[in-house]
Amino acid sequence: MLSLITWAPLVGALLVLLIPKENVKAIQGVGFLAAGVSLLASLLLILSFDRSTAGFQFVEQWSWIPSFNVSYHLGVDGLSFPLVLLTTFMSFIALIGSMGIKERVKEYFFWFLILETGMLGVFVALDLILFYVFWEITLVPMYFLIGVWGGPKKEFAAIKFFLYTLSGSVFMLLAILAMYFNNPARTFDMIEMMKAGAAWSPRFQEIVFLGLYFGLAIKIPAFPFHTWLPLAHVEAPTPISVILAAVLLKMGVYGLLRLCYQMLPAGFAWFLPALVVIAVINIVYGALCAMAQTDMKKMVAYSSVNHMGYCLLGIAGMTAAGFSGAVLQMINHGIITGALFLLVGVIYDRAHTRDLSAFGGLAARVPVYFGLMALTCFASLGLPGLSGFVGEFLCFLGAFPLWKWQTTISVLGIIATAAFFLRMIQKVFLGAFNEKWEGHMPDMTPRELLSVAPLAVLTVLFGVYPKWPLDLMNATVVALLRK
Amino acid sequence: MIEYAWLIPLIPVAASLIILFGAKEDPRSPLPWIGIGAMTVCLALAVSILWGFVSGGVALPYEKNWDWFSLATTIGGQSFVWTMPVGVLIDPPAAVLLFVVSLVSLMVQVYSIAYMHDDTRYKRYFAFVSFFTAAMLGLVVSSNILVGFMCWELMGLTSYLLIGFWFEREGPCEAQKKAFMTTKLGDSGLYLALLLLYAKTGTFQLTQLHQHFALGLVAPAAATVAAIGILLGAMGKSAQAPLMVWLPDAMEGPTPGSALIHAATMVAAGILVVSKLYFVFLAAPLAMEAAAWIGLITAFMAAAMALVSFDIKRVLAFSTVSQLGFMLCALGCGGYTAGLFHLTTHAFFKALLFLGAGSVIHSVHTNDMRQMGGLSRRMLLTFATMTVAVLAICGVWPFAGFYSKDMILVAAWNHEKWIFWPLLLTALMTAFYMTRLLTLTFLGDDRDHERFHHAHESPALITAPLLVLAFFSLTAGMAVAHDGLAARLFPKPTLSVAADAAAATPSASVAASAANNPQVQTPDAEQELPDWLKFGIPGVFVPGAMLLAFFMYRGPKFEAAEGLRSAFAPIATLLDRRWYLDDAFLALVAFCDGVAALAFWIDANIVDRVFVDGWGLLMRIIAEISSFFDGAFVDAAVDGVGGLSTDLGVGLRSLVAEGQVQEYMMYAAIAVSLAATLILTR
Repeated sequence: MLSLITWAPLVGALLVLLIPKENVKAIQGVGFLAAGVSLLASLLLILSFDRSTAGFQFVEQWSWIPSFNVSYHLGVDGLSFPLVLLTTFMSFIALIGSMGIKERVKEYFFWFLILETGMLGVFVALDLILFYVFWEITLVPMYFLIGVWGGPKKEFAAIKFFLYTLSGSVFMLLAILAMYFNNPARTFDMIEMMKAGAAWSPRFQEIVFLGLYFGLAIKIPAFPFHTWLPLAHVEAPTPISVILAAVLLKMGVYGLLRLCYQMLPAGFAWFLPALVVIAVINIVYGALCAMAQTDMKKMVAYSSVNHMGYCLLGIAGMTAAGFSGAVLQMINHGIITGALFLLVGVIYDRAHTRDLSAFGGLAARVPVYFGLMALTCFASLGLPGLSGFVGEFLCFLGAFPLWKWQTTISVLGIIATAAFFLRMIQKVFLGAFNEKWEGHMPDMTPRELLSVAPLAVLTVLFGVYPKWPLDLMNATVVALLRK
Repeated sequence: MIEYAWLIPLIPVAASLIILFGAKEDPRSPLPWIGIGAMTVCLALAVSILWGFVSGGVALPYEKNWDWFSLATTIGGQSFVWTMPVGVLIDPPAAVLLFVVSLVSLMVQVYSIAYMHDDTRYKRYFAFVSFFTAAMLGLVVSSNILVGFMCWELMGLTSYLLIGFWFEREGPCEAQKKAFMTTKLGDSGLYLALLLLYAKTGTFQLTQLHQHFALGLVAPAAATVAAIGILLGAMGKSAQAPLMVWLPDAMEGPTPGSALIHAATMVAAGILVVSKLYFVFLAAPLAMEAAAWIGLITAFMAAAMALVSFDIKRVLAFSTVSQLGFMLCALGCGGYTAGLFHLTTHAFFKALLFLGAGSVIHSVHTNDMRQMGGLSRRMLLTFATMTVAVLAICGVWPFAGFYSKDMILVAAWNHEKWIFWPLLLTALMTAFYMTRLLTLTFLGDDRDHERFHHAHESPALITAPLLVLAFFSLTAGMAVAHDGLAARLFPKPTLSVAADAAAATPSASVAASAANNPQVQTPDAEQELPDWLKFGIPGVFVPGAMLLAFFMYRGPKFEAAEGLRSAFAPIATLLDRRWYLDDAFLALVAFCDGVAALAFWIDANIVDRVFVDGWGLLMRIIAEISSFFDGAFVDAAVDGVGGLSTDLGVGLRSLVAEGQVQEYMMYAAIAVSLAATLILTR
């Protein structure tokens, strides 16, 4: 089943290649079909996912490269399954958003579907080589998707993104090899690696940790490796921004828990004091940078830096509540920030600018758009009753017992987040109507609504009743801390 | 009926959603009546609970919890799955507040039907009001302080929406943002307090928290920090110094909405949360003292500002801040009963004052009291009800405010004389500026003949709520002060284990016995005020202050008052500029913007340069070295000496340009990896 979920988009991508590029409808149809199969299959798994066990489920294992003990090994637990769901779901949403792509549709869908396979593979792989292959696979489509369909500075943004993340992953590969050679079983199997981890000397763990962390931190993105993100977001087309924020960043945090914490406990513990400082910087500094932006998309991009800081803070707390908070925050950030990017895309499509001060008084003209935007902004700034609050609160709750002062300082980030979102709402939607847009501001189209509405519904649902996502991860999180 | 208490916050939520999504916007939509119907049901439930308790038929506190969600948590090094409950806890103060909040909200909504008609967003206004009330009711009944906090924040959201209701204008937009940000600043204190409480006790349930404190399981230092955090939250929400800046601006919203914010919901929430978590304060004497002084300072500062303002709504806003200061001061002085009693009576007369002011503004179309005067001849009902409210807030016997304010003064007297005397002075200032408001608006001659000429009494939908509220402003004090009911309705929590074990047990019978336990109810052995104060305050001082105001502002020009103003010009300016608190607030905002700009400059010019460009440079250098070795040794070894025929420099540059850097990095990486592995394993 996991193979189906993972490979369906790739099959779709190959099918797309066979269709003549004039036949846009068929290309889109195949794209939706492939992503839809993935989505449906992952939703079906919810029914049979055992919420009471911490182990890996739906495991598939075949020998792949026997000479190096590399196997094709897939499986999910409470940590990765929610992220698989997030990926299939957000990919489908982003595909709806991609209906607006008009040029080179065939290539776009091809790369997009390959990207989806790569992302899913990262979350389901249980073999480090497989993991690394999927991890690198996501880069290439992303490079093209930003570089071809992006904004004015797309080439620069794409190459910066590509080289920077690639240079990080080299160190990751290095660390993986080090772990391989030091493993008595000489295997790349992640489950074996978790068992072997305890036997490694702390010194070794620390060095390997740094190697892994370097690759992951760029992806997360953790300060000071975050500067590629605003540029990539600003230049990327809307659906790719959605994928970038909703799923790609999560790969970093997932790796931090799966690889660093589970395989290198001593190295992780050693790095903890630094991690919490990085988390605080991400939160406060990210929010401050967002406050200084005039471009809506860049502001949202910096708010991602801030939100991923919450994840890091929760992880640094080394408590079950913090870990749950981090995973939940990943899901919620994916949904909320995905919606934010879609909404920013909506206004950009109409006005061809994202400058905050170019608008004003839109609330009365586009009430539906305003309502959704306000809902999403308030969710993002952590208003209780919406999903952002729960993850954020659990992160703080989990970090507080261990890091009292650091958590206290991080609260400043929450205030700053409120400040820049409220300012955006005021500048764009309130006040007197900017006559320049008279006649150019129709409310949301059905397609736009279709892509945003499911996210808005989930935002409210998970905010009022976080039981569903939390139940998926509880057993695994408890087991993570028990060992 | 009490088993349906959990419905009380949910009914207005449902009403709000129906109103919001039920139909298209229409200035004459009938949907608002759904909100009114919902609130009537809530009021009926609240009355039945309160009456049941007063007559002895219902035992309070009543608690019932349900499972909400489960989360993995770690306490004391042990990780397990813990289930977060959600539920209702109705203690006597909650029962009273349910009644007060639903009554005031109902009156506000009836009034708004007439006041808001023909507004382009007529329907939306009622949806907001219903939601606002629901959030407050949720805070009142919640047994889980985290749920309470969620309601508290949702109240912040709805006040944001109501204050900025007319968002086309600049003023409301700024005011709504200011309100949200200032309260958010305070909220962060409460947020941290909740984190601390959970870290120390592992629960958010009020009864369990109380038990932990009663058993002395929380260290005094932690209790003090938590209490100060809670106090910060209350200072934001209840507009205490120096976070009071948002409330006077909050009147930019529709007047009935202001009435709701000022009387029953938003600002009452701060006091309510302090009272709900009062046991934390009992364990933290330092925080109690801080609360008392902050309350006192706020009460005085706000009353002083009210002395000089000519904007009728602004005077009322200052008076709200001042009265909230009284309540917080009372709570800080240990006068739990007094503080909550005043919260109740204040809700009635402050709602009445705002609605009355709204009726006046509706009629003369200005907020400036200098353009009013003599309106008693035009608007008799409004005048009569406003007079009741003014007498109540001034503390004239037998109006409601007399009893509660008297009780606060007694609490202050017993606690600290240095608090009592300024507080008494503030009470007299209250009597002065409220009489000034009444005189300027309704008495004396009409100063603006044009406006006076067009002034008229408001329709019945406006005056009827005024009459209802006037009734309660007149009688609430007497009724509650009668026969020790105040101590029964607002029993001061204790940290004694015996009383607490009973209160913490969900069993109704045990709880009832605790509620009837005289030891719990009787307030601390309190001294009465000395006779000359006890009778002198209501008999001489308060009437004196009122008469002074009446004579100073009676005439058309009030020269005496203006003379006084110019004689003390610096003080008047200080008060007009609102103690420069707003300027300080704006400076803080500007400072934050500056820091943000600096952070972004650092990001773009330093972090990006060092960690991206610098990193790229480093990679290039490594690549060049690597390819130098490659060329010098590997190629040499393979091809022999003759292999170096190509220009090395050109080759390198093309390598970097063609993106083969990566390949070399990979080799370098693998080499380093192998080396590291070998070194580390040996």
